[in-house]
Amino acid sequence: MALKKFVVGCFEDEKVLFPAVAKVRKAGYKFHDIYTPFPVHGLDKAMGLRDTSIHTAGFLFGMIGTTTAVTFMTWVFTKDWPVNIGGKPNFALPAWIPITFELTVLCAAVGMVLTFCYICQLAPFVKKHTFHPRATDDLFVMVIECGEKTDEQELTTLLNSVGAQEVNTQVAEEGWWIGRYDQEQELYKEPNIA
Amino acid sequence: MIKQQFEISAGYKKWTNILLGVGGLALVLGIIFLGMSKEPVEQTRFWAVLLQNSVFFLLVVNASMFFICVTTMAHGGWQMAFRRVPEAISSLVPVFGLLTLIIFIAIVFGHRHDIYHWLDKEHVEHDPILKGKRAFLNPAFFMIWSVVAIGLWSFLGSKIRKLSSEADEQMDQETGRKYIIKNTAWAAAFLVAFGLTVGSTIPWLWLMSIDAHWYSTMYSWYTFASSFVAGMSLVALFVVYLKNRDYLEYVTEEHLHDIGKFMFAFSVFWTYLWYSQFMLIWYANIPEETIYFKPRMQGPYRVIFFLNLILNFAVPFLLLMRRGSKRNYTTITALAVLIILGHWTDFYQMVMPGTLHEHYSLGWFEFGILALYAGLIMFFVGKGLTKKPLVAEHHPFLKESIIHHT
Amino acid sequence: MSVTKYESQLREPLVNGDKTYGQVTQDIVHTIEAKPTRLWYIGFYVSVALLLFGVYSVYREVVYGIGQWNVNRTIGWGWDITNFVWWVGIGHAGTLISAILLLFRQGWRTGVNRAAEAMTIFAVMCAGQFPIFHMGRVWMAFFTLPYPNTRGPLWPNFNSPLLWDVFAISTYFTVSLLFWYSGLLPDLATVRDRAKTKLRKHLYGIASFGWSGSTKHWQRHESLSLVLAGLSTPLVLSVHTIVSFDFATSVVPGWHTTIFPPYFVAGAIFSGFAMVQTLMLILRKVMNLQDYITLGHIEAMNKVIVLTGSIVGCAYLTELFMAWYSQVPFEQDIFFKYRIAGPYGWSYWLMMTCNVVSPQLFWSRKLRRNVLFTFIMSIVVNIGMWFERFVIIVSSLYRDYLPSSWSIYYRPTIWEVGFYLGTFGLFFTCFFLFSKYFPVIAIAEIKYVLKTTGESYKNDMSTLENKNVDEFIHEMHDHHEEGSVKVVHH
Repeated sequence: MALKKFVVGCFEDEKVLFPAVAKVRKAGYKFHDIYTPFPVHGLDKAMGLRDTSIHTAGFLFGMIGTTTAVTFMTWVFTKDWPVNIGGKPNFALPAWIPITFELTVLCAAVGMVLTFCYICQLAPFVKKHTFHPRATDDLFVMVIECGEKTDEQELTTLLNSVGAQEVNTQVAEEGWWIGRYDQEQELYKEPNIA
Repeated sequence: MIKQQFEISAGYKKWTNILLGVGGLALVLGIIFLGMSKEPVEQTRFWAVLLQNSVFFLLVVNASMFFICVTTMAHGGWQMAFRRVPEAISSLVPVFGLLTLIIFIAIVFGHRHDIYHWLDKEHVEHDPILKGKRAFLNPAFFMIWSVVAIGLWSFLGSKIRKLSSEADEQMDQETGRKYIIKNTAWAAAFLVAFGLTVGSTIPWLWLMSIDAHWYSTMYSWYTFASSFVAGMSLVALFVVYLKNRDYLEYVTEEHLHDIGKFMFAFSVFWTYLWYSQFMLIWYANIPEETIYFKPRMQGPYRVIFFLNLILNFAVPFLLLMRRGSKRNYTTITALAVLIILGHWTDFYQMVMPGTLHEHYSLGWFEFGILALYAGLIMFFVGKGLTKKPLVAEHHPFLKESIIHHT
Repeated sequence: MSVTKYESQLREPLVNGDKTYGQVTQDIVHTIEAKPTRLWYIGFYVSVALLLFGVYSVYREVVYGIGQWNVNRTIGWGWDITNFVWWVGIGHAGTLISAILLLFRQGWRTGVNRAAEAMTIFAVMCAGQFPIFHMGRVWMAFFTLPYPNTRGPLWPNFNSPLLWDVFAISTYFTVSLLFWYSGLLPDLATVRDRAKTKLRKHLYGIASFGWSGSTKHWQRHESLSLVLAGLSTPLVLSVHTIVSFDFATSVVPGWHTTIFPPYFVAGAIFSGFAMVQTLMLILRKVMNLQDYITLGHIEAMNKVIVLTGSIVGCAYLTELFMAWYSQVPFEQDIFFKYRIAGPYGWSYWLMMTCNVVSPQLFWSRKLRRNVLFTFIMSIVVNIGMWFERFVIIVSSLYRDYLPSSWSIYYRPTIWEVGFYLGTFGLFFTCFFLFSKYFPVIAIAEIKYVLKTTGESYKNDMSTLENKNVDEFIHEMHDHHEEGSVKVVHH
């Protein structure tokens, strides 16, 4: 939990956004984030973000599901309580494929969604600072963190020159907290940053 | 410089000739030592192998046209960068169709009831089940319907390939619109014909009737899945080859990725159909039905039965799951070869248990004929590719294929 | 990676009118912010009334037992298993549209996927009721779950297709819900950030999980959607496959046939699309969404209907043929004496007409784009698909190997029908609430395709369209270089 100072530039068109991202990066500034109303393909690459590996998590969760299903059914039908069902062998693998498959998918899907929520810090009652209310509507909001050496004025000028419609400076909590969206946060009323 | 027009290289020619030579030799030796042998088993082996290969490769090359028609119907744009490749492959349908018909004529009019049990008139008289099936399983219907099916595929396929040439010329927007509609209409006609033949009657006639008493409603769709995934793999092989030789300028790993997705998805689909057919018969345990799996799963074909599952399900499923491997030329090539061989094995276990029973063999003749067909494919596809530019430069959807990304 | 926005001008725009990103938000969200129309209230109250009737019918069944229905010893599965399979089938279109069409990159899915997914979830909720209440002693439904118990522990039979169903339906419901809701998060955040009233801001704030639109989150979100789509595709196939196993693993003539799995799946997609069509046609009219659910969307769905209808037709004929070809007298009797003829013959021919014959009219482009005709057809198809399940269940059961247990006059009681009507009530109540409180069209996805396929943007593509291929590639590379610049850190 820390309050930080951010310079915020808003763009209306992704055609302007892409060259702007490149120029801001070239000038050596570090993005806090870019908030967009929809997934802009290629923006992650342009910002220099690495690929996500969330699908690997999905694969691992899936394997857990497969193993659980097969071992559990094997244990039940060959060790714990063997029953003769329609003359089939106790280890009736063809008949277990459906349940094994379902459990694989269930574990993979649930596990992945939970992983996703965890690494993106998404949950009910979680609140994050809104840099611009239209970031979920029609604006691409570029947020740059101000370090100790950052010249705010220079950055503002740069953002204006690369085509930002609106540029401002905000002091805000960078992470998340438990809060309500209908109430103003009181966190950045008294900026006390170094 | 990117080459627009395919030229058969010396290396390509050499390999074609080697395969054709090996295959031709195997065929000649096969005629002498098997076909003309005194041993009935050797004769059966001769015809069964020819039947397996001719039907398999005919359905595989025809799958290329199916791919073209499906993507055309769905108004797909991504395949335009390499569409001429499946076109060239599908131009083999009349050739392989003719070969298949010749083999059928020999089998049916040579009364080879060791291949098709129902050709034995005397036996059918005393077999109430086969007698009941006579309206469907009889030489006349078999030949007529085979000719009709092969004729339909060849005619509609050549029509669609001819249409494709129109996109080599400049066309304005209005012509383009009409061109797309015309293409869609012919593709629809092909698909309807395909549904009535490959999707139902043809596999019953050509393959299921080998085990003449046995029946399964799934059979045709299962055979279709098998031949389609092998067909996609064949397309992948030629696309990779051409790309490596600096052809197909617009094909990127994005296109390869999508072909890889088809190979992956239809391998899984094949497995799904395989499982559904097998499990339902295993579960209900009705002797009339389980008789089919008895020699395959517990008899002499056990190894091939499980090999079939490993080659066609386990390997492609595990290796093609990752995104990276679908975009890798080497992986795709290796898997394409494996999948084609895998489904060749699948057709092998469809044909052999009902004809050769426990006397099957997998030796010089089987692989020789495989080489012959590989050589024929290389020869005719190579020739087909030289006939037209490799890309239909003015197809209305080509640009979409160029910026295609997954 | 190219940032060039291009799509052939021969393709119909998927978003009509001159739209900006802001306009898209406005068009879709304003129905949530405005008071519902009178029509909405009427529809909602009718649905609630149906639901209440359903609740009473179920109450009768629970209190007085399964005897409240007319199922008998021969026809043990009557209306309610028919309804179960019917609803599950309908519940396939949503995931199909979102998952399979996503993988096949059919752009038109964006307009309809959200509502179709919601429909899926509600349909599965309805479907689940039937086998649960068919158990008779519904308070023991949890016996189907494998948990350590004091009865031995006695485990459920993992070899039984009915247990596979328990796993399949619950997994399908859970995964569809996750898929749907994870797609909703960004759109709920849009509603939240526009909200004018405090309560709305608070509630949508909770519902949107604090979504901010961060690029990193979008990147993960896309990856998540793709994998969920990849998982849902085989899942959706497996669900109806397993439903078909309920029949096909048996040795009942007419049920035990290997084509059942893919044929059931094709039928499910067929009926699911018909239901999507019914709902979409109402939705676009009532909510004024003609710009987003265009005639192009309707035509595309009609094409899927004619395709799947024909596949189903191919399966019907295959079954008939195999019944003859097998030379098994029981199979032949079921199909040729008791299905296409006999006291239930009318239901077979109704099914054939509705599912195979009438969809062939969609080969005509004019009819595919006719809204009224499409609406009528969508209902015809759903009637036909209900009768398909009725034919399969009743006509295979009323005659079996033992002539002493033959039974003809199976007719549902009012409570059996009431249960069915009640699920309609549940379905539409949920759907009305959904259409009032949630964005019925995936806002973010529409914005994503807007500049490629929006009507006004497509007109701007003429320059690209008229370029020849070499110039086109040149143009693309220019864009490309602007996007990627070497980074020099200070």
